[in-house]
Amino acid sequence: MKKIVDISIPLGPVHPCFREPVRIMCETKGEYVLSCETELGYMKRGIERIMRGKPWQEVMFIAERVCGVCSVIHNMVFIESIEKISGIEVSPRALYLRVIANEFDRIQSHLLANISYCNTIGHETLAMYLLNERESVMDELERLTGARVTCSYIIPGGVRFDISDEEMRSIPVRLKKLEVNVNQWMNMFSTGPLIALRSRGIGILTEESARLNHAVGPLARGSGITFDCRLEHPVYQKLDFVSIVSNGKDNYARVMLRFSEIIQSIDLIKTALATLPGGLVRFGGIPKAGEITHSGEAPRGQLTYFIKTDDAGRIIDIAIETPSIMNIEVCMQKMIPGLESIADVASVFVSIDPCIACTER
Amino acid sequence: MTAFQSIMNIVRRRSIHVCYVDAGSCNGCGIEVLACLAPRYDIGQYGIVIHNNPREADILLVAGAFTPGWDDKLRILWDKIPAPKAAIAIGNCPQSGSVFNRRGSYIDPPVSKHIPVYANVSGCPPRPTEIIAAILAQIPKIFPDFKAEP
Repeated sequence: MKKIVDISIPLGPVHPCFREPVRIMCETKGEYVLSCETELGYMKRGIERIMRGKPWQEVMFIAERVCGVCSVIHNMVFIESIEKISGIEVSPRALYLRVIANEFDRIQSHLLANISYCNTIGHETLAMYLLNERESVMDELERLTGARVTCSYIIPGGVRFDISDEEMRSIPVRLKKLEVNVNQWMNMFSTGPLIALRSRGIGILTEESARLNHAVGPLARGSGITFDCRLEHPVYQKLDFVSIVSNGKDNYARVMLRFSEIIQSIDLIKTALATLPGGLVRFGGIPKAGEITHSGEAPRGQLTYFIKTDDAGRIIDIAIETPSIMNIEVCMQKMIPGLESIADVASVFVSIDPCIACTER
Repeated sequence: MTAFQSIMNIVRRRSIHVCYVDAGSCNGCGIEVLACLAPRYDIGQYGIVIHNNPREADILLVAGAFTPGWDDKLRILWDKIPAPKAAIAIGNCPQSGSVFNRRGSYIDPPVSKHIPVYANVSGCPPRPTEIIAAILAQIPKIFPDFKAEP
């Protein structure tokens, strides 16, 4: 009998489709992918070790630099943990402004994920349209917080500064334009016949294996699991937030789910601006000793901080659990093995929106 | 220098290939480099192409504070780039380590210890316009007297 030689193909760490360094080793048999594993360790900076023993004023800025793409949610979860430990009262107006900043961050992160996916499957036109749309969202973030990427907008007791009256009037107008454009690109993605060939039925993750392997975020919601930390957040409950769930289970469903979440985030910002309470945007407060485990919904899934502080407000112990570490493992074990072509490995890996900077810290 | 070589040097200034390498950053500089491709900044109008292939690159963009995973690999990657070449450090991390340069971290900045760096762009992260300006400022310095070896 003729022996079929299995070849091991490495992808990365410097790869045209990946923004960040990661190495994927694929065991193949012809074009079929039998198994694969990741080799991480190109981004390990030791952030949790740096944080220990530092005062919270310093750790606040380091926490934001765990990940540059979703920096607002890292800032938000860290500050909410400090507030819950110390019982600091937060200004009601600031709570709404935090949600607005967080949703703008989610929109740009989801757009970035879809840009990467379109680039990977070779649809550069749609990627450029979306990249231009993302720049307008970055402008909104800059007008609101003062910086494009690392904003440091959220502080204990409130936010750094108030939104101006002019912004209050002009944001809904610009959001309306953004919604029209995003709907147009969403329609372009859903009706493209070549996009469907590269996306539909590829990278299937069943609900059972998503549940067993603890998939989180859009990956879990794309497989029919209703799991969203925003459902337990008091401000999102006031805004009548309902989690979007899709049953498609493939690459196409995940990208479309991200488009739907962008539209939902735009609606959330509009509602939050319409019902914004008055008053001051920052109250004072003194951090106290204690420990807590607190979660928030990052653009990629559940983000958990375990924090232990002492009387002076120094961080004694900290552990961060980011969403990408679970999603990458699910992708390696359940989604990539069994693919019919080696060309789909990169597109399936990009469709889960991996963030290596978060994963390795 | 032959006439052919000097013409080639002038022509090659209009077609610059850029390789981007992330040596342990927070991803903030990476998305700003990606934003340079957007039609608003349009890096393509200067004849610059960003991709991740060192074999056909002229300029290497390095972001990040040099983690141990890159100890031997960044030097190998630098050697793969054909001459003439230049490395540009994006952000504060390759210069000083920024917020990560504390006791207990695994990083080993600056990047200029490991590969020769021609220019630094400060900022955490720098704006896309600053990155484009830095690349454009380096282009005339790379090609003027380059002489290919026979």
